[in-house]
Amino acid sequence: MSRNVRALLSFGIGIGLVALAQTVDPKSLLHPPADSWLTFHGNYSGQRHSSLSEITPENVGKLQQVWRFQTGQNQQIKASPILANGILYVTLPDNIWAVDARTAKELWHYQNPPNNAFHIGHRGAAVYKDTVYLTTPDCHLIALNAKDGKVKWDVVIADSNKGYWSTNAPLVVGNHVLVGVSGDFDNLPGQLKSVDADTGKTQWIFYSTPPPGAKEPNSGGATGGQMWTTGTYDPDLNLVYVGTGNPTPVLNGAVRPGNNPWTCSIVALNPDTGKLVWGFQASPHDTHDWDANEVPVLVDANFKGQPRKMLMQASRNGYFFVLDRTNGNSLLTTPFATVNWAKGVDAEGHPIPDPAKYPSKDGVLVAPNESGATNFRPPSFDPKTGLFIVSAQDGYGIYFFKSEHGAYGWAGADYAVAGKAFLRAIDYQTGKIVWNHPIGDGAGTAGVLTTDTGLTFSGDVTGNAMAFRTSDGATLWHENIGRMGNGPIVYELDGKQYIVVGGGGSLYAFTLP
Amino acid sequence: MKQIVWTLSIALMVVGIVIAQGPATKSPVQSPASQPGPQTVTPQAYPAEQIKAGELRFTSQCGFCHGRDAAGGETGPDLTRSKLVAEDVRGDKIGPLLRQGRPDQGMPSFNLSNTELGAIVAFVHDQKTKFEALGGGRRAVDPTDLATGNATAGQRYFNGAGGCSRCHFATGDLAGVATRYQGLALLQRMLYPSGGQRAPARPKVTVTLASGQTVVAPLAIEDEFTIVVLDPSGARPTYDKSKVKFQIDDPMSAHFDQLGKYTDADMHNVFAYLDTLK
Repeated sequence: MSRNVRALLSFGIGIGLVALAQTVDPKSLLHPPADSWLTFHGNYSGQRHSSLSEITPENVGKLQQVWRFQTGQNQQIKASPILANGILYVTLPDNIWAVDARTAKELWHYQNPPNNAFHIGHRGAAVYKDTVYLTTPDCHLIALNAKDGKVKWDVVIADSNKGYWSTNAPLVVGNHVLVGVSGDFDNLPGQLKSVDADTGKTQWIFYSTPPPGAKEPNSGGATGGQMWTTGTYDPDLNLVYVGTGNPTPVLNGAVRPGNNPWTCSIVALNPDTGKLVWGFQASPHDTHDWDANEVPVLVDANFKGQPRKMLMQASRNGYFFVLDRTNGNSLLTTPFATVNWAKGVDAEGHPIPDPAKYPSKDGVLVAPNESGATNFRPPSFDPKTGLFIVSAQDGYGIYFFKSEHGAYGWAGADYAVAGKAFLRAIDYQTGKIVWNHPIGDGAGTAGVLTTDTGLTFSGDVTGNAMAFRTSDGATLWHENIGRMGNGPIVYELDGKQYIVVGGGGSLYAFTLP
Repeated sequence: MKQIVWTLSIALMVVGIVIAQGPATKSPVQSPASQPGPQTVTPQAYPAEQIKAGELRFTSQCGFCHGRDAAGGETGPDLTRSKLVAEDVRGDKIGPLLRQGRPDQGMPSFNLSNTELGAIVAFVHDQKTKFEALGGGRRAVDPTDLATGNATAGQRYFNGAGGCSRCHFATGDLAGVATRYQGLALLQRMLYPSGGQRAPARPKVTVTLASGQTVVAPLAIEDEFTIVVLDPSGARPTYDKSKVKFQIDDPMSAHFDQLGKYTDADMHNVFAYLDTLK
């Protein structure tokens, strides 16, 4: 473990509960208490699995709505709320609300001034001590006082006038606030910035593709590789794992020959320096917008009889990857959804793109479509059954590129044709689909949560929040709340287990009666 | 089963799918990108402040899908070549579309004041005017781009391996289909007809009630728990799936299955064949 992280953690232990009664001890992010949900994924592993056990397959059918919080806005909640000290923090683009987690009473609301960056969604906030962090569409990182929403500081993380925007839920590791941006419509280098949690000062920047002016022989001239989703962290290895986005120009691959590292990759970074320790490309030379930003889920378990520190990702390109997260070596690569774009898998576990499925002037029919075999909606790993449960899509799209489309930004055209959505359970050791629960036409938008009692929570395409039996995918409970756009979260307050999900522009809390 | 899958002509305009239509010229010397989109039917001018206000709202709310410049983005079509925009007069077509959305096409509805709506309309028309002056469009797929297939091979596939002729007839439902749709719009209809007010035939559902009574009606909505059908009276009866027996016949499932069977050559050949059905 690095000196900085170590120092902070021992500092946290030292001053303990007294000084931090109403704040978030950075150490608690390592072992979040049951009455909290402190990061986008709930904890650093990205498993979205809870040991809370009041709600069981036997009683889940009795779940009742105990409150609803209406943001009053059109936009769908895509954020995982953060829960700290009994307060939920939930976001939409340019907006964050602090809400009493017992009553849904609004405590404060902060609104960023109007701006012309993309407002396509927001993944959530982050907390550290008495500060809540909000990224904005116009690429500010704003530190707010957790108690009253007053601005402590406000820093620019990227130039939105160049075409960057942010939807990112930052990841706090020690005193590092790791914050990413998006930017597919311009040829921009991919950047992840580490910001000092106390001061807002930049600590380091990791570039997934070379910054302007840099000489880098491997990228093939690609830009892009934005890190717009929240990574995971292994404190023992002191490595942060982040998925990187697709290269730009997006559909025109001819002008960026080679594999275009580190786009469409999982990268392992030292959180204290931002230095790359290893990288693994899920989609070498992508030409279909299939970023590898999906959650890199960290699992310690046996793989084919041998104890392993693994990283698993169900990637947007339709392949499920299991890696050794100490070194990035492949343990398993197998499709988990309909794919027709690869000629096979190479010896190192990378799919080999088939040039016949590159976007063409007269169009190619490709599976999956651009929205992918999955997307940012977070999956869950259930340790008891060894099932990796993901909201998957079997879909097709048509992809076009002609020279008139140029070499800037999108540089091509593509259209989804049709898709079918499933909640899909993958055996991580074989990649075999253990069960497959249809959830409607198109693609799902709900994330997944599992609990120790053998329950899986997610939602379907028609607006039902649902609970399933983890072992076989049987439906045990549902309530139509409007389409879920986020991953469910779970916590315990006053001895009650809460399930909180976003439906449309509202948050809903469910408990047993 | 005869399905009236190709009936609609207005639906696509409403959906706003890019129809890089123009006169169906196939001159090989003309650069595809220079083919114009549909021209604005009723020229309109807007004050600069209104356009500017519209730009702010458009880029932040609409730009991801339709592009900051309205010329196409990650998932949405190029609005500067949209037939709906070409035929819109001061929001009379764009307004209702924005307020209702197109949930089946992934487009949300927007709760906008008249001022906000007017600003967006002003910006979109202004962009269209600018792009008309430039010619071409960033995301354009022109009919000539798609003309690589072999119509004879396509007809063979249509009547043979593709199984298309089980539901469709060149002199029946498909007569004149290439007049109703051109280019990308025709290709999209061929692969998976969807959306629009006069959408492809809905799945037919047969519900057998506990009483033994049988209801046969078009399906309105289905999820895992309920079936909602369209009653001829205009009512929308809802059936709890756990309490009835039911069977759903969805003609579109054949289209979906075919997506996994087409080679790209098959796709282009069938397209070439359909393109002869003027």
